Amino acid sequence: MDALEAIAAAVWPRSFSAAVPWLMLLPAVVLVGLLVLGLWDMADGSFRTLDTATFLPSDDYSLANYHRAFTERLFFTVASRSLIGSLIVTAITLFLAFPYSYVMVRTRSAALRKFLLIALFLPFFIGQVVRAYGWLIILGSQGMVNEALGLVGVSPIRLLYNYPAVLFGLVQYMLPFAVLMLAPALTAIPEEMESAAGSLGANWVRTFLHVVLPLAKPGFIGAGLVVLTLSLTDFAIPAILGGGSQDFIANAIYDQFFRTSDQGMGATLALLLVAVGSMMVGVVFALFGAGTLAMGRSK
Amino acid sequence: MTGSTKPPFNFGRRRFLQDVGLAGAAGLVGMPFGRAFAAEPEKPKEIIVRAWGGSWVDSLKKGVSDPFTKATGIAVRHDLTEDNEIQPKLWAAAAQKRVPPIHVNWDTTTNATKSALRGVTEDLSDLSNLAGVTELAKPVGLDGYPIVNTYGYVYVLAYRPGAFPDGAPKSWKDLLDPKFKGRIALYNDGIGFHFPAQVAGGGKLEDIPDNMQPAWDFIAKIKEQAPLLGEDPDFTAWFQKGEIDAACTISTNAREAKANGVDIAWTVPEEGAKYDTDGLWIPKGLPENELYWAKQYINFAITKEAQQVWLDGLGLPGVVPGVTPPADLVGDPSYPTTEADFGKLIRISSKVQVEHESEWFGKFKEIMQG
Repeated sequence: MDALEAIAAAVWPRSFSAAVPWLMLLPAVVLVGLLVLGLWDMADGSFRTLDTATFLPSDDYSLANYHRAFTERLFFTVASRSLIGSLIVTAITLFLAFPYSYVMVRTRSAALRKFLLIALFLPFFIGQVVRAYGWLIILGSQGMVNEALGLVGVSPIRLLYNYPAVLFGLVQYMLPFAVLMLAPALTAIPEEMESAAGSLGANWVRTFLHVVLPLAKPGFIGAGLVVLTLSLTDFAIPAILGGGSQDFIANAIYDQFFRTSDQGMGATLALLLVAVGSMMVGVVFALFGAGTLAMGRSK
Repeated sequence: MTGSTKPPFNFGRRRFLQDVGLAGAAGLVGMPFGRAFAAEPEKPKEIIVRAWGGSWVDSLKKGVSDPFTKATGIAVRHDLTEDNEIQPKLWAAAAQKRVPPIHVNWDTTTNATKSALRGVTEDLSDLSNLAGVTELAKPVGLDGYPIVNTYGYVYVLAYRPGAFPDGAPKSWKDLLDPKFKGRIALYNDGIGFHFPAQVAGGGKLEDIPDNMQPAWDFIAKIKEQAPLLGEDPDFTAWFQKGEIDAACTISTNAREAKANGVDIAWTVPEEGAKYDTDGLWIPKGLPENELYWAKQYINFAITKEAQQVWLDGLGLPGVVPGVTPPADLVGDPSYPTTEADFGKLIRISSKVQVEHESEWFGKFKEIMQG
């Protein structure tokens, strides 16, 4: 033990102790540093246009890619679809996640809690792409749902390859994330608070509206931010369930990088996506705080 | 990369090219590799060839890769990374002067032309078997042979016969029938459809690329039919699952679906169908011995023996005279062999396609995403 302490003292003398917090920050600094380096490189590329005579980026800088991003209808359509879609998905997901979390936290049945936990974690073991393909099997023209409808005389209907299908797939994908973010916030609400409200004459609706919901706000904010940002940047669900005509921004970025080989335009769209996502998160932080993402600290 | 050991002797690039030339002079075709490559450089353990999956890679393996391995002892590994996704990796490797992740890229001629224009392709002009290929093998608008085109293919109108009780569709306009709403499919970048749409929209092919408004007008009408947009594997899956009745797709995919038991047929409508080529190329930056054997792989791929087996599997016409079509494709419009066959097809130079692809892609997407 003495030897180990001696080695530790040699490697990290006591006089370095003030640097310990900084050392603990090192992984985050490295991570963010790499991200910033990548973004810097992309920022450089975003100011260069593609020369289709050589398929090399231009040597000179211009705002041409940004001009295209803000003026071409395609990008406006895809961006607005992504933004509106992510807001809808966030609202529906939170609406569904709350009762799930509440029952999971408050139930007195250990079996039910285990069942809900397993049902929550099971999707994490199945990748997003596989889950999306699962919906193709279930909702396809010859899928289980249409077969069931056929049994009652309803002819097959197109359930896939449209905007609602994409939103549905995203909600199903995001639900576990939202429940995981909400559950700690609900756990932190003492049950006695609800009992006290009841004993003071509040029915369950008033208790829910005036006690549970306000106290669950940090969970809603944390879950909402996670779902919002993940939905906004999703690629696979729109690609698979959208039938090619319901692209989100990430799909448009992929197209620029990999289909048209226009890395400058791809970088431009990626940076704009980062900017829009960051702004949305910033607005939520400013208005409501960071919720559970603040890790117990006030804003 | 495995097997990237340096050769025991200091072979220079010029020396290798001399070897290739000598091998060609010796009449490489039909000659056992052991004899032909008497002065051969060190063999790598394997070479990596990027390929498309499904029947595409199966055919390449059977017709080219396995015989190549048998003759040379060099294993061939197929990398199924999508062609669009391998491209930036190859470009980055060349820019950073790294060894590229593959030896041979099986690519569309349009994509390969981009790489050639960027200067990341090796020159293949010294392949001995180029002496025996048709004009189709030569990339249009490029110096030398940065790519060797290996076959042509047609973007046919594939359809489910049950959905067309009066017989094969005569025109691309037949897809505008309201009964096909939500039941047709196109490639998600519109590839293969722009040019016939130009004709179907009342325009002229001579107006490409300057005035393609007729194409966009027709594509806008097709948009009203809510088409599905996808990639090669999607078409087969959609036909199999009964999601679609018709699609603009490469004949190979339709033939594969048919082989899998899907009730499907195909035709070239009266407006014509796009005819294009795929090819093989080698990225710059390989060690010289590996470059040599990668070249031999391509050289072998343009022999009659290799083409016969490889392209039988794909159901596509090659670039070597005398290759016979598979029995099921004799007289088929997707397997053009005569002047009259080619007269029904639309071929636009790769150079024009490459220069305008991004613009056409954006316009198609704008219509379809609207």
